[in-house]
Amino acid sequence: MTRRVLLGTGAAVVVSAGALAAAGLTHRLDDVAEAVGIEPTPLPDPEDSRILRRASKATAALLASLEATAAAHPDLALADLEVIGREQLTALGGTTAATDVAAPPADQGAALTALEDAYGLAATQRATDAGEAFSPALVRVLASMSAGHVQTARQLRRLR
Amino acid sequence: MTPTDALQAWLALEHEAVWLYPVLGARFDDLVERATTSFEAHRDTRDAVLARLRALDAEPVSAQLSYDMGALTTAAEARAAARTLEAGITAACLTLTGATEDDARAYAIRNLTKAALAEMTWGAPPRAFPGLP
Repeated sequence: MTRRVLLGTGAAVVVSAGALAAAGLTHRLDDVAEAVGIEPTPLPDPEDSRILRRASKATAALLASLEATAAAHPDLALADLEVIGREQLTALGGTTAATDVAAPPADQGAALTALEDAYGLAATQRATDAGEAFSPALVRVLASMSAGHVQTARQLRRLR
Repeated sequence: MTPTDALQAWLALEHEAVWLYPVLGARFDDLVERATTSFEAHRDTRDAVLARLRALDAEPVSAQLSYDMGALTTAAEARAAARTLEAGITAACLTLTGATEDDARAYAIRNLTKAALAEMTWGAPPRAFPGLP
């Protein structure tokens, strides 16, 4: 069965403005579409789905690292950055539930440096993803996330 | 939106930045260094965007004689005006990313990042999705 999404319904997968979740529902939505006689709209490109999954997995790992650092160093002001990380992960439809990350360094400065490096790497990866994506909406979301990661990295540097 | 339209929208904001930062530097001693750095960066970017539009055989939008950026009577108002302008440039660059491919898209992404950092330079907090509504 072709991968399709329903557009213009309450079950739509909206690939824009941070609402990229639920790609996994598309097979079930195909069946619903055919049952009710609605013409589904094809997903733009299979490669975009792969890029989205990769970005979601990487973002989950990044957020898990941030949360682990916040737990290990509760005096660091990381709460706002955690909110940002959760917003990004939610937009990609990901979860940190099955994400294992290494324990952060016991030294606070080293922990911040490790996080900053991780965000810098993630920014580069999402920029690369944005360069490769097909859908203009996905390009924009990934490019925006990359810029957001760069901002977070700068904020982490300020905390050192 | 076509790539040319997106570049024109971005250029209009770069014209505005080239006008704004000398005003801020002239009015507020505490902001001179930051405003000077921002002016030089935006002047270079404006020239680069102008060149890209001319390479597309487009007539670049012109700068206005002046811009309404609010009162600008306090340093806080000046910083807020700069943040608003940089956020607008972030959004314009983000629009361009989705309207272009290959090297032009990479150029837009690089400048999106620059603008997102410029927002923070003028006091904005980090965001999850800079440039998106």
